[in-house]
Amino acid sequence: MNIDSLKLKKISALWIIVILVLFIASIVLGILMRLNQGKVIEQSPLTFYTNMTTHGLTMIGIWFAAGMVAVNYLLQRYVKTSYGVNLFAFILTVIGVVMLWVTTYAGKFSTGWTFLYPLPFRDLGSESWSTPLFLISLTILGVGWLVWSVSLMAQIFKKYTLAQAFAWQHFKSNPTVETPPFILITTVTLVGVIASLIAAVIVIVLYFAEYFSHGDFVNDALLMKNLIYFFGHTIANEMLYLGLAVIYEIFGEVSDRPKWKMTWYISLAWNCAMVFILTAFFHHLYMDFVQPQALQIVGQLVSYLASIPSAAVTVFSIVAAVYGVKVRWSIVNLLFFLGVAGWVIGGLGAVIDATISNNIMLHNTLWVPAHFHTYNAMGNVLFSIGFFYWFSTQYVDKLVLSKLTKYTLTLLIVGGIGFLMAFYVAGANSIPRRYSTYPVELTSGPYLAKVGALFATIYLIAILIFFYNIAKRCFVILSASSR
Amino acid sequence: MFRYFVCFFALTCFSFLGYANDNHSDFREEQNLYGKIYNAPLGIVGNNKVSSVEELYNQKPLIIALVFTRCYGICNPFLLQLSENIKHLQSNSDFNILVISFDPRDNLQDMTNLSKQYGLENNLQWNFAITDSIDAFINSIGFIPKWDSVIKQFDHDALLVGVNEKGLITKNLLGIRIVEDVHKMISSINNVFTPSYRLPTKSNIFSCFNYDPKTQTNRPGLGLLFVALPAIITFLIVTIIVIKSKRTVS
Repeated sequence: MNIDSLKLKKISALWIIVILVLFIASIVLGILMRLNQGKVIEQSPLTFYTNMTTHGLTMIGIWFAAGMVAVNYLLQRYVKTSYGVNLFAFILTVIGVVMLWVTTYAGKFSTGWTFLYPLPFRDLGSESWSTPLFLISLTILGVGWLVWSVSLMAQIFKKYTLAQAFAWQHFKSNPTVETPPFILITTVTLVGVIASLIAAVIVIVLYFAEYFSHGDFVNDALLMKNLIYFFGHTIANEMLYLGLAVIYEIFGEVSDRPKWKMTWYISLAWNCAMVFILTAFFHHLYMDFVQPQALQIVGQLVSYLASIPSAAVTVFSIVAAVYGVKVRWSIVNLLFFLGVAGWVIGGLGAVIDATISNNIMLHNTLWVPAHFHTYNAMGNVLFSIGFFYWFSTQYVDKLVLSKLTKYTLTLLIVGGIGFLMAFYVAGANSIPRRYSTYPVELTSGPYLAKVGALFATIYLIAILIFFYNIAKRCFVILSASSR
Repeated sequence: MFRYFVCFFALTCFSFLGYANDNHSDFREEQNLYGKIYNAPLGIVGNNKVSSVEELYNQKPLIIALVFTRCYGICNPFLLQLSENIKHLQSNSDFNILVISFDPRDNLQDMTNLSKQYGLENNLQWNFAITDSIDAFINSIGFIPKWDSVIKQFDHDALLVGVNEKGLITKNLLGIRIVEDVHKMISSINNVFTPSYRLPTKSNIFSCFNYDPKTQTNRPGLGLLFVALPAIITFLIVTIIVIKSKRTVS
């Protein structure tokens, strides 16, 4: 094992342990919130919103990082990636997350993960220093991830031309050079990641400008909301695409099936997805009457168009890969397969909500957390845990589908579905989101919150078992030497 | 074959999209806001001093109810609820009410009878009126009644329109509404502050849109450029990386 390869494995193993620890902590915060809504425990509203802010921001951050870790690791098969930049991103992520948790728990910063304007400047019971510290923590995270993304993209373009990286040669018949689907999806995704992080940078600069101007400069609420969702919606989708890139790369090899080849429709679908996903965030602004109607229409159209190419092509590819053929099922490809199902179901929930006529009813109900938890908790998380499992076992152990693994997977599915159903049913019953406690009129709210907490605990048990299995192997990798 | 499947799939998706668009309920209450109401000449029951809508809203802000006297449907319960709501308001003297017929068959006698039906014929706050410019008037509001020749009735919304003293429509209320909604409308026509999109100031230089009170239109502002900025910067970054990579290779 050469020294570069070992260093990459070690940093990847370190990332995985940190991500899973933060994931478990964030699930606990989520369960506490649902228990509070279910009136099983009693938290002050400030504690609830502090937990909500920490839960949301940590989840978004770790699963984005998980996708980047996986892509960085697999990209080494095609191009040389920078260990230094990977380490730099890791250090900045750890510092950023620690500062973020200090901001929320010591500073009582509680705006929710979207930190919508002007909430960071309102007195919500937080310490006065928490707003600048929060902005600094976001800056640190943003800088680390932006440098990492640009570095990976630069490495891709060192080997592939612009046309090859975007697989444009596949629009013609018999292309001379084949672009691996992994390279195309990674390139397309990195473009979106960079755009979303730049949107975050602009938001942070505008927040700082207002903070330090002492009233001489005020921001435009509509502009801030547009930019925040440019960042938030885009990065939440791009991290799913990072997971899909991993599936395109290793689903075949873990299933004893041939690796997926690039075709014109895969190329077309992902190029379209790159363009569409950058404007789909407009669907978050349907309730903003000053947003021009044309942008609202674009929001709905593009929400449909963004989901169709990538989802249709990926589902078609994965079904074609397993239908009617002998597949060596392991925990890894099962997680990938289930993850794609979760992604598609969550995506359908998202498209339903992104339809203007439905959004009038579903906006700010629990339908919203229902759909994004579906494609995260039962989609993206499964993609990443599948990768973590594959990564941890390939040098230490063999991929087997043991009884314990089957039981763990069953717990994960039962817990995940139950937890999500409580959200969906509540959303369909117009139970509002972001309420720390429900008024007496919403009788089903507390009951469904208790059901959600129960199933989320089952989900957590499964995650703890996965964590034990993955982390112990990662520690072996961390202690390995190059000899 | 697969290409035909892709085309078929795309067409199906677009059909569903079209269906979804056709079925969504709209934000009609938000339409025509801050547009100027048409200054229609009026014939008002028992009032010879005022002869136009402008004269009426110049006196006090105006709540306009659109009805017709031969209505078998919503008009009567709508007017009854409005009169009840107005009675229940703590302060109900800072506006006038214009009940105007959009049916060309209605005359002043019909409107007089209507006012008597509610005991409002001597109430100076209430103005029951007809106009010979009803089309221009309802067009300025965005009110579109449809004539049903079979039942000889108009199919129409129960619409209340709030107009401030400058003749600008500040709020619309669709349907029979509770007293709190009417109270909001009265606040709105009296220019009482309600949270809304702010007007441009010197400290707010990056607005997405700037409202021009003179033309009553929203014009794109510098802020819109910021929304596009992430995509533009990303494009530049990718371009720089590609050019730099080419140079390194060569």
